[in-house]
Amino acid sequence: MFYAQLAVNGLVQGLVVGLAALSITLVFGIARFPNAATGDAMTLGAYSGIVVHRGTGSLALGSIASVVAAALMLLGAYGLVFRRLAGRSVVALLVASIGIGFMVRAALGVVFGHSQMVFQLPLARPYVLGGLRVSPLDLQLAGIAALALLIVFVLLYLTPIGRQMRAVADDPDLARVSGIRPARVMLAMWTLAGAVAGVGGLMLGIKTIVAPEIGWELLLPAFAAAILGGIGSPVGAVVAGLVLGMAQEVSTPFVGFTYKIAVSFVVMLLVLLVRPRGLFGRVEATR
Amino acid sequence: MNTTRRQLLGTFGTAAAIVGAPAILRAQTAESFRLAALCPVTGAGSPFGSGMQKMILAAAEIVNANGGAAGRRFEVVPEDTQSSPQAGVLAAKKLIDVNKVRAILGTWSSGVSLAVVPLANEANIIMMNTSGAPALSVPPANAKGLSYRYQATNDRFGRAFAEICVKEGFKRPATMAFNNASGVGNTEGFRKAWEGKGGKVVENVVYEPNQTSYRSELQKVLAANPDVIVTGSYLADTTIIMREWFQSGQPAKWIMPGWAASPDLVKAVGAEVLEGVISVDSISNESAPSYKAFDEAYRKAMGGQPGQSNVYAAMTWDMVHVLALAIEAAGSVETAAIKAKIQEIANPPGTQVYSYPDGKAALKSGKINFEGASSVLDFDQYGDVTPDFGVFFIESGKLERKYIVKI
Repeated sequence: MFYAQLAVNGLVQGLVVGLAALSITLVFGIARFPNAATGDAMTLGAYSGIVVHRGTGSLALGSIASVVAAALMLLGAYGLVFRRLAGRSVVALLVASIGIGFMVRAALGVVFGHSQMVFQLPLARPYVLGGLRVSPLDLQLAGIAALALLIVFVLLYLTPIGRQMRAVADDPDLARVSGIRPARVMLAMWTLAGAVAGVGGLMLGIKTIVAPEIGWELLLPAFAAAILGGIGSPVGAVVAGLVLGMAQEVSTPFVGFTYKIAVSFVVMLLVLLVRPRGLFGRVEATR
Repeated sequence: MNTTRRQLLGTFGTAAAIVGAPAILRAQTAESFRLAALCPVTGAGSPFGSGMQKMILAAAEIVNANGGAAGRRFEVVPEDTQSSPQAGVLAAKKLIDVNKVRAILGTWSSGVSLAVVPLANEANIIMMNTSGAPALSVPPANAKGLSYRYQATNDRFGRAFAEICVKEGFKRPATMAFNNASGVGNTEGFRKAWEGKGGKVVENVVYEPNQTSYRSELQKVLAANPDVIVTGSYLADTTIIMREWFQSGQPAKWIMPGWAASPDLVKAVGAEVLEGVISVDSISNESAPSYKAFDEAYRKAMGGQPGQSNVYAAMTWDMVHVLALAIEAAGSVETAAIKAKIQEIANPPGTQVYSYPDGKAALKSGKINFEGASSVLDFDQYGDVTPDFGVFFIESGKLERKYIVKI
């Protein structure tokens, strides 16, 4: 029961990391570079959510604002920067994304200051389910995350644009030859990646605090989850986020709290040693 | 290439100006004493930083209005640490290499002070900080004894926490510390003092920064069934911890440092959650005339805000006073000469003085003991001071000071 409680504690953290990893993996699968601005898109989402929540008192409107703001930011980044750098080396794109992240973070710092902001939500006692303590807020957040994931996977696997995105991810040349227009696919992908980051940022902001660095600091675990899940695999990213989040918490009785972050990276190392392509990744064919 | 005589003269003229310029600058530095006001204007320290900087400037004006120190005017170069060690080091490098400052005043947060102090050692200049980490007292950080601390050490905070536990009748304390020199310093200082009194700490948790949840950490601490939880924490992590603790529904009392349990924390988690939490902070030397002068200057510079709202600004105000009196007593601006006089002018014995002009006058007739706005400023052999601690209880969202602890 003790370990089950720890696993539950890790679940929501895992979902936040999983959403960030999903955004990273979507970009990597199609635009083929690690997007370091993902964390700052989350931060922007969290700020937009908190501003709208304060203004209107409605968390639903706040969530919509988060999703829209983060999606617009990544779309803008694509239109202004990444599109012009297409075909350049991965390093050029990576560095550009780090720069975009810096700009967004600095702008948020200038506009909102560096002191923390918090979502003013009522605090509630936990439900006790079979000896497990689960906070109502966590259940709601898990619900939001599940809904977001459902929408993403429906889009990816059941709609024509999703099929086109997956086709481009598989083989961009073949996709183009088959008459898929890359521009449309790119727009759809960046919107989706931004929206996912927005949801993740909103959850992060509600769980913790809202400050200009929150998303940036989550970037490393998110990259770890994206790699562990098999880069480019949406299902893998989410599963890996959950695995890492829970492994961290369940390990704490053995390694203590100081080293729990290292544990998630040890798990990643072990998995990659046995299965270099990650949990759900496929071996890339040499072309 | 054709060069006319006029162009050639122009070139020579410019060259002469360039060669001549540093000499003029050198002449200026010979008359004035340059010091840096290296404060956390942005970042986590931003609620304090600009007030700290303005008090350095205000105190330097007083020194200059009274004929300077040892005949030198004080010239202040302000810089921002952004509350980050990296930015702090860059700023300190610039201050030392470009501005040629002879003292660095006003660093806040242990991470920044620990990062900047090696540069001060290397340049052989005086450094005065407002940070708590025990490591700042001893080598390697304070290898040359050039660093002076105006804040209580985290160790002393821990001792104050232990005194409060005795006074409030707690028997089974547990600790939670943010994993850095300051956080762990608080709880270790507490553990040593508490065990010295024959007590036992029932659980000890050190946690990592930037976690989305501290529920597992809380679970472990609360499982030991403590009657009070003593923390070495900061605002952001405390916000998350208090929210999750309240949601867990398990009763506990808390003792926290003042920089965590602040009015901002009340704003973040609400009055209901924090009812009865004990917040401990070093307090200024509020009954002293030096404090009154500081308070007036602070209200004037900060648009009417009371000096009580910024204990660190009282510290930076004192820094300039101590430095100026030490220079005046030494009659020299050499680092070794200043260092030799700092304890002499600040510690007893000597005529008690509370302002720069009084101190300067009293120095002519013998030894002085400067009593600052932030504390009585008696430096021990490590350059540390021992201020008093205010014990605040949070009641209906207000921090009410109930009593003062002396250690």
